[in-house]
Amino acid sequence: MDSASRLLTYQGIPVWRHVQIIQWAVQIVSGILVVALVVWFFSNMVGAIQDRDIPSGFSFLSREYQTPIGEHFIPYESSDTFLYALLVGITNTAIVAVAGVFLATALGIFIGVSRLSSNWIVSKLAMVYIEFFRNVPLLVQLFFWFYIVLELPAIRESFVVADAFYLSNRGFSMPWPKATEYSVAVIWLGLAAVAIVAGWLVYRRQARMEEQTGRSGYPLIYSFATALVIGAIAWLILSFAGGSSPFYISMPEPQGRFGNIVGGFTARAGLLVLLTGLVMYTASFIAEIVRAGIQSVGRGQTEAARALGLSPMSTLRSVTFPQAMRVIIPPLISQFLNLTKNSSLGGAVAYSDLTNIAVTMTQTAPAVSIFMLIMASYLAMSLTWSLIGNLYNRHIRFVGG
Amino acid sequence: MKRTLLLFVALSALVLVLVGCSDTSALETENANLKAENEAMKAENEAMKAQIEEGMAMLAAGTLPMGDGESRLNTVRERGKVICASRDDVPGYGGIDAAGNNVGFDIDLCRALATAVLGDPSAIEIRLINAAERGPTIQSGEVDMLVRTVTWTSSRDAGWGNYAQTMFYDGQGFMVRADSGITDALELEGATVCVTLGTTTELNLQDFSDQNGLGITVSTFEDTDAVVAAYDAGQCDSFTNDNSQLAALRTALSNPADHVILPNTISEEPLGPVVPHGDDQWFDIVKTVMAILIYGEAYGISQSDVPSAATDNTKVDRLLGISGAFGQEELGLSETVAQDVLKAVGNYGEIYDRNLGPSGINLPREGGRNALWANAPCTDCPKGGQIYAAPLR
Repeated sequence: MDSASRLLTYQGIPVWRHVQIIQWAVQIVSGILVVALVVWFFSNMVGAIQDRDIPSGFSFLSREYQTPIGEHFIPYESSDTFLYALLVGITNTAIVAVAGVFLATALGIFIGVSRLSSNWIVSKLAMVYIEFFRNVPLLVQLFFWFYIVLELPAIRESFVVADAFYLSNRGFSMPWPKATEYSVAVIWLGLAAVAIVAGWLVYRRQARMEEQTGRSGYPLIYSFATALVIGAIAWLILSFAGGSSPFYISMPEPQGRFGNIVGGFTARAGLLVLLTGLVMYTASFIAEIVRAGIQSVGRGQTEAARALGLSPMSTLRSVTFPQAMRVIIPPLISQFLNLTKNSSLGGAVAYSDLTNIAVTMTQTAPAVSIFMLIMASYLAMSLTWSLIGNLYNRHIRFVGG
Repeated sequence: MKRTLLLFVALSALVLVLVGCSDTSALETENANLKAENEAMKAENEAMKAQIEEGMAMLAAGTLPMGDGESRLNTVRERGKVICASRDDVPGYGGIDAAGNNVGFDIDLCRALATAVLGDPSAIEIRLINAAERGPTIQSGEVDMLVRTVTWTSSRDAGWGNYAQTMFYDGQGFMVRADSGITDALELEGATVCVTLGTTTELNLQDFSDQNGLGITVSTFEDTDAVVAAYDAGQCDSFTNDNSQLAALRTALSNPADHVILPNTISEEPLGPVVPHGDDQWFDIVKTVMAILIYGEAYGISQSDVPSAATDNTKVDRLLGISGAFGQEELGLSETVAQDVLKAVGNYGEIYDRNLGPSGINLPREGGRNALWANAPCTDCPKGGQIYAAPLR
């Protein structure tokens, strides 16, 4: 029977009630709608740009920026290009994001576990923390921290510890390793990475041996020793070859008539305020996620672990937490994304994050193009977090049945 | 399945009957009624369709119903108010009075424009924006005029909108704590300077620091309020802004006497209203209104005493629309637009005095750049300044 006659004599479900056909139709229609909407938005934007003679294009990227950037962790001169200035902004945002994510996760886990503590005071304190920081808008919290930092002593009356740590309302300074010569430092960092990889390989080998033979392989000790020895040998060779060690410790020191700190590492007030605000805010959400994750692990697991004689700490570390991770990771990643994107509020407290720098750029370059680049940058950062999260998620999922 | 088919057949039959009706003579009267009803519905449909199409065209053409054929003047008149982007955080320029109204030099310029095109100085809407929002706001054309201490620069003129007229000559300066002992901006080596995000002062600061090898560090805040708070608490050694704004903001510090404004002026900051690109008539109207304020002062016409009958000065008569004309008709303004404007907000000098002068933040004017240039008929008005506009004739 050919297909045409089969169609004519079709006696199955009528087309308008055929689930598959309906599903396809819905897909096609929604696809068309989405594409149409995107096309309409885009053409509307292009039309408006033309109508109003709004400058666009990307040729400005290779021009000199000639504008100050308050805070930069990679060297920056006003003669650098717009493109490089954007890179400075991306590093600034990335630094806040990474530091914020680590601190917020640590604090969030601590608060989340405290929330489940059998100690009434601890549990209630954690609850108060969560409810307060979760329910007050982040911008308001940032201004709160901003005014708290302003209340710190002025630069001349800084809190000083051992002539090495300075805290004032302009920021916090501490000693920091600095490269004596960039090329040598980079070589050593490369060798240090090799040392870490070697240490990790030793750890795996010893751990496997321990598993197979039951004899103690001391994986931690062996791996650390390997890494240290390789790193130290590299350091010594480079020091002798180059005449000076790859890094030296730079000490912060007040200088000039204003007493501003030179040397060491200085986290300026803007960074302190932004980081504190982001960490406290995000930790409250992470705490709830951790609590939900821990509570999702069946009670029997904990009871069994306790019955085997594991201490509460070991139970949490070896039994409850590994299982809770599966529930925790996906929402945790979305908190990382939130933190990264929320760092765009930096401008309010004088931190030169990507958005802050970009807004300054719109004075001398086309705003539309700049905001496209900004969106792309945040998208790239968010996708990186998602990628890391997904990889980790795959790593910890249930294996087999 | 069967039931659906039955329903379908029934519906088709009904449609056929309805269509066929038009031929049956027995139902002629009823038919006529139906026809009329049908026509009415059709007409209504057409109107709705046209409206939708118009809306779609508007949406497709831009974001807002303006530009593209319709002049901004008509749009403003239909709307019944002038929308100005301004500020409320710097006394004198754009602040808030005790009653909560927007007041200031910039606000008065907006009121003058509203009087000229709508005959009502209160027909204004003030959109409050921060410094960094100025460009996008005027580019989008969502406001009719931007008056928010905006410095005229070539790249802003090219990219943002058209600058109508310099209404105030300013320059960038620095404020420092008096006890720092600094008397010259060149002594600011290694200083931390607070500045507002998205301003020309932010850009000029880099030039100044580079040129003189000062190695200044900046702290860039989105809002001027935060800049003032940070400077007041000693988070920065100095605070830079236009000199006149420094003078205004000094009054907001916890102890104004502890702070001095350095004598250096490191840049040119001509301030004035900006209009969106793409509507020459509107651009010309704003320029003309600003000129009316300036010539109002030059001819000694004060708010309380605006002549409505012929005077002995033809220039005054022409300005006030008593005889002759200076292009009102081409601009779509009334003959007596200058009378209305001057009665409503006063002349340039009065606006200055009310907001920036003795009754405002007390910036000196006499002998300075913001005095009139004019060789005017009034003998006691300040002269030798740079405030000047194209002749009204």
